[in-house]
Amino acid sequence: MGRRILFVTTDQQRYDALGCNGGKVARTPVVDSLAASGIRYERAHPQNVVCMPSRATMLTGQHIRNHGVWMNGVPLPADAPTVAGVLHEAGYRTGLFGKAHFEPFLDPFLRFPENRMGVSGATHDEGRPHRGFEQMEFAGHGAAGLVHYGGWLRDNHPEHMAGYFPVLDMTLEVNPEGGGDTGAPQVKHNPIPRGMYHTDWVADRAISWLDGLDGDDDWFCWLSFPDPHHPWNPPSSELHRVPWRDIDLPAGYQEDPEERERILDSKAPHWRRWYDGNLVSNYEAPSKWVPATLTADQVREVNAMAHIQNELIDEALGKVLSAIDGRGWEDDLDIIYTTDHGEFQGDYGLLFKGPYHVDSLMRLPLIWRPAPSATLIPRVVTEPVGLLDLAPTFCRIAGIEVPDWMDGVPLPGSGADDSGHERAGVITEWDSLHPNGTEVHMQSIFANQMLCTRYEAGTCHSGNEGELYDIVEDPHQQVNLWDDPARAATRTDLLEALDETLPARAEPQLAVEAAV
Amino acid sequence: MAKFTNEIVIDSPSEEVWAVVAAAERQAEWFPGMVSSTVENDIRTIGTAAGGFLLEQILSIDHDLMRLEYTITGPIQFEHHLGTLQVEDLGCTARVLYGQELRPEALTYALRAATRDALVGLKALVETGETSRGYTAPQTDKEA
Repeated sequence: MGRRILFVTTDQQRYDALGCNGGKVARTPVVDSLAASGIRYERAHPQNVVCMPSRATMLTGQHIRNHGVWMNGVPLPADAPTVAGVLHEAGYRTGLFGKAHFEPFLDPFLRFPENRMGVSGATHDEGRPHRGFEQMEFAGHGAAGLVHYGGWLRDNHPEHMAGYFPVLDMTLEVNPEGGGDTGAPQVKHNPIPRGMYHTDWVADRAISWLDGLDGDDDWFCWLSFPDPHHPWNPPSSELHRVPWRDIDLPAGYQEDPEERERILDSKAPHWRRWYDGNLVSNYEAPSKWVPATLTADQVREVNAMAHIQNELIDEALGKVLSAIDGRGWEDDLDIIYTTDHGEFQGDYGLLFKGPYHVDSLMRLPLIWRPAPSATLIPRVVTEPVGLLDLAPTFCRIAGIEVPDWMDGVPLPGSGADDSGHERAGVITEWDSLHPNGTEVHMQSIFANQMLCTRYEAGTCHSGNEGELYDIVEDPHQQVNLWDDPARAATRTDLLEALDETLPARAEPQLAVEAAV
Repeated sequence: MAKFTNEIVIDSPSEEVWAVVAAAERQAEWFPGMVSSTVENDIRTIGTAAGGFLLEQILSIDHDLMRLEYTITGPIQFEHHLGTLQVEDLGCTARVLYGQELRPEALTYALRAATRDALVGLKALVETGETSRGYTAPQTDKEA
């Protein structure tokens, strides 16, 4: 009998969403308590800022270029090794509940196993573990989609399906419509009862699976909440938690448009082009929505909705932890909490995500509460780590040798051996090719409290652009130092470190099979 | 607007290939992920494996040029969609080109992949008589 692992992920959650990270809006006592008794990472970065590549990294422990999922819509190869597979082979029971997204969502002809499972209600792939998971029950961002939650809601509470905001419109583009009180995009008042909302459903399905395990089973449970990703439509019964009119504007939002636009103009040119509605570079934001139209009240309402969703996640996690405690597993339980990427949530006058490497999208919450039986000392880790370090950490927790194919190293704080974190920095990369022909390629490194991004030639960039930020002096990345002669040596050093760390691009590049 | 074309060579005479392609109601026999296809007047209704449906208007079936054109009319609301199946005579074999034009472009990648698989299904049907019903599209392997 070893240590059990509860891996908790949210989707598109900012670092400052949590009280333990300085968040002032959402009350997150459950996660805060885990942080207080565990390890809180102040600089955890994803290797890509959209779902599929980032989740593939979490599952494989690999850089983007090694697992090959270079943008949304690229399925993780069927033969990709996974940490769930490693744990399952070692005797762990393995389950994933909530959002997987290792394969594309937009799949009208049901080409992918995850979607076939979601439509049929099967919880495994024809009797075999899928990507190492013996049990999978999926939820997405609402009632639509080829997921178990959608089928459950349709079969049991069809009257509540229309309460969700439709993420996609009738053209299958990300829906630009607005709602709520302010007309903010992807906001809606959702009359669904709280117990039927997907956050609680994910927790309930995980608890049901855990209830069926033997007391001496080792297990790895990925509890994967789809929130606070848009649409921002938590149950209306919960809106009282965070009245949007009462909250402060986020520190990263400039209320003065001139100031906002001056900052955008100091960055690579695609920032301002998107803001003005002159660029559609990626599928992850509504193509027909113009960020420059975003109002301060809309920023407030989106933030309020997201923070309500954050509170519901925290409470759902508490419910799962109570169930685990009831089984007597608490002492041998490791809990790791993180997300796949961040969200602008009003920073720079923007929402959603895309090819923009700043803390809004890249600084992630990451907390590891080691098993109490491991008697590790609570601490705060300031050195940069990446989501690619999670899979090796799971191996170490389970007492399994980290496979050679994993690029990451166990997170610092795991006790006996913190080696491997002498790495030059943590890297994040972006490659995209939109069907409209827009092409963006960029890579970033975070090291020594500096964030450096370079752009390769594409349809938006000549290849000479870049961004360099001093995170200590400029925590909201508003002063681009790329062309500052006083920082030239720093820039050169960081770019050299980036080249040393970044693997070669996979050849051939995997095909994009859907928009998302 | 996005445009793309997939193509495949089929080891059968072009007239045999065209006979299958031109029978618009037979598309579900060779298009993986389609569970039914019926034609009434010039409207083809496709049932999809995901539980949805597509409505298509058959724009033309030109037996001389061996070309079929259609447009998806619902429920997806394209501003513009044109699907073209073109059979070319290569002597003992035939080349089939499956093209799509669409705006907005959200479904571009999914249609490109699905029509690529569909041509494989068409080749199997014409060459071996195997239909694509119950067919599972092969997943990408890294080693492939």
